[in-house]
Amino acid sequence: MLNSFVEMKADGSTSGGCWIYTGVYTDGVNQSARRKPGSQQSWVAPEWGWAWPMNRRILYNRASADPDGKPWSERKAYIWWDEAAGKWTGHDVPDFQVTKAPSFRPEPGIGGPEGLAGDDPFIMQADGKGWLYAPSGLLDGPLPVHYEPLESPLRNAMHTQQSNPTREMFPRKENLTGPSPPEPGSDVYPYVVTTYRLTEHHTAGGMSRWSPYLAELQPEFFCEVSPELAAERGLEHLGWATIVTARTAIEARVLVTDRVTPLTVDGRTIHQIGLPYHWGVGGGGSIVSGDSANDVMGVALDPNVHIQDSKAAACDIQPGRRPTGPELPRYVEAYRRRAGISVDTGTARVTPEKDGS
Amino acid sequence: MWGWSSAPDPARDTGWINAPARKGFFTDGSVCIGCKACEVACKEWNGIPEDGLQLLGMSYDNTGGLGASTWRHVAFIEQPRRAVGSDGFTPLPMVTAAPDQNTHAGSAETGIRWLMSSDVCKHCTHAACLDVCPTGALLRTEFGTVVVQDDVCNGCGYCIPACPFGVIDRRDGPPGARNVGIAQKCTLCYDRLRDDMTPACAQACPTQSIQFGDLDELRIRAHDRVDSLHAAGVTDARLYLADPNDGIGGAGAFFLLLDEPEVYGLPPDPVVTTRDLPAMWRTAAIAGATLVAGAAAAFVWTRS
Repeated sequence: MLNSFVEMKADGSTSGGCWIYTGVYTDGVNQSARRKPGSQQSWVAPEWGWAWPMNRRILYNRASADPDGKPWSERKAYIWWDEAAGKWTGHDVPDFQVTKAPSFRPEPGIGGPEGLAGDDPFIMQADGKGWLYAPSGLLDGPLPVHYEPLESPLRNAMHTQQSNPTREMFPRKENLTGPSPPEPGSDVYPYVVTTYRLTEHHTAGGMSRWSPYLAELQPEFFCEVSPELAAERGLEHLGWATIVTARTAIEARVLVTDRVTPLTVDGRTIHQIGLPYHWGVGGGGSIVSGDSANDVMGVALDPNVHIQDSKAAACDIQPGRRPTGPELPRYVEAYRRRAGISVDTGTARVTPEKDGS
Repeated sequence: MWGWSSAPDPARDTGWINAPARKGFFTDGSVCIGCKACEVACKEWNGIPEDGLQLLGMSYDNTGGLGASTWRHVAFIEQPRRAVGSDGFTPLPMVTAAPDQNTHAGSAETGIRWLMSSDVCKHCTHAACLDVCPTGALLRTEFGTVVVQDDVCNGCGYCIPACPFGVIDRRDGPPGARNVGIAQKCTLCYDRLRDDMTPACAQACPTQSIQFGDLDELRIRAHDRVDSLHAAGVTDARLYLADPNDGIGGAGAFFLLLDEPEVYGLPPDPVVTTRDLPAMWRTAAIAGATLVAGAAAAFVWTRS
C-alpha cells in the first residue's frame, strides 16, 4: 500500500488503484476507520476518518491565509506560513507547494505549477486565482446569473431572460418541454417536481432492488407532498397519485409529510413534489419494482459540462392510479393539448423583451 | 430465579464463574442519522430472512417494529411544525451546532424535527422471557445477555407475552427459512462476543450512535453525554433503561432519547412481567390450602 500518490512510479513497480485514494492505508492502518474524539485533537479533526486526497479536508486551503501567509482570522486559523521553518503548516494538510514562500514570484514566461506565485492559492487554475468574472472557458459566462429551470411555473424574478439561452436541447416528440412563462399554458402543469435519493437504494435500484435486505427497507415508489398540496388535490396518505408532465404520467404511493413545505415565490404559493428515483421495471429476480421517476423528466443539458437539467420540472398531480395501455398516451396528450405543447415549445433561446407578466 | 439486589450481576447471579464484565449497548438517539445500516448488518450477520415488503407510511420506517426476523429497528418520528403553544407555535428543542457538539436533524426554518433511534432487545437485568421459558432455551450468557438457543426452543410462545417491550416473537415465515416457529430475538451477537468482536450493528453504525462495551462504562459515558446535551440546551435529552432500580433492574441495552419514550413507541415505565409471580403463587397456595382445610373441616364437621 502506498502512503501517497507521489510514490507512484511509471515503471509499473507500484500499484495505487484510484490515485485520489492512495494513502487511505498509510502505514498499513485503515485511516478511514480512525475515530479519535474531536476533544483530543485540533478543531479540523484530521484524525477522524480520512479524506481524499492525502487526508486534506479543504481544497485550495492556501486561501485561508492572507497574501503574506498569515491567517485572515486568528479564530479561524487553518494553515499558515511558518517563516522560521520555511514551510506551510497548520491544522490541515496544505494544498500548496509546502516550501513556496508567500513572497515567491516566478520568472515571467514560466507556465504550469512553477509559474504560480506564493499568493496564488487556486493551484489547479492556470493563473492560480479564484474567478468571479470568467471571461473565458464558460459558454454562459462571464458572471454568475440566475435562470429558471427549462420548465418552471414562475417567471424569472431577476431578469427578462427566462432560462439559460445557451442550453443544449433535444427537441423531438419523445422529449417534449412544457411551457414556462411568458409562454402561455404553464398553468396546466402548476407544480414543481424534483427527484432525489434514499439511503437504502443505489441509483435506479439495479443492485439494491434485487437485494432483499435493502428492498424491504424501501419497498415501494412514493411521492412526497405537503399537507397543503394533499388538501388542494385530494391526495390521501398511502393512497395512489398520478404525476404528469409534458413527457408522460407515472403513479406513486403518497406520503403526506410536513418535511415538504410549500414555497412562497413572488407572492404565489408553489407546491413541490419529491420523487426518489430508485424504481423502475422489475425483470429477473427484482424484489420490488415501480414506475420510474426519470420517465417524467426531460433532457436538456448545461452547455459547459453537459449536466442534465433534470432536477426540476413542471407537473400536475392527481389522486388515483395512472391509465394503462393506450389510455396512458391519450391521458398525457390531453394535458399537452390544454397546454398547447408542440415540439417547438420551450425551444426559444432568447426570451422576448416584452411579455405579459 | 432472579433475586432483587442493589447491584444485580445477572451472569454471576445465574451461576457463571469468572464471568467477564457485563456487556451491553448504549444507543444514542441524538446522533442517529437513520441510515438503517444496523438493520442490514444484523440481518446479514445473523442470516435473518427478509420479512415484509410493505410501505408503512410511518415516515421512512418500513420495518415497523422488532420481531422474530427484525432484531434492530430504526424508528423515524416526524414532529410537525404546527405544535400548538400560547402563541400558536411551539419551537421544538433542537440540538444546536455548538463548536464541540454533534448536530441533529432539525431546521429552524420549518420548525420540524426528525427523530431517529435504533431499537433492540433490552437484555433486561430481570428478564421475564427467561423466567417463563419451560425448556431452558432462553439462556443468560456469561456476558449478562439473554439468548435463545434455537435448537432447544420448542416454540411454546410463553416468552412472547412475558416481554414488556414486545421484542421476542416466533418466526412465522417465509416457508423454508431457518427456525420457522421458533422464538427469535437479538443475541447481542453472542457468537461475535465469544470471539472478542463487536456486535454487527455497532460495528456498522457510521456515527457511533450504537456503542457497544462494558455496561458500567457505557452508563458513565451516557450520563456524560446527557450532561453535555443539557449544557447545549437540549433539555429534553434523557436516558431510558439506564437505571438499575427501574422495573426491569436496568437494561443491558439502554438508550438516549430526545423526547418521551412513548414518542419512540417505547413503554414509559416497564416492569418485569414476572415480578409479582412469587406473590401470586403464594396467594394461590394460601387459597388452595384454605380450600383443602375448608373441605377437611366440613368433612370433620359432618362426621361429628
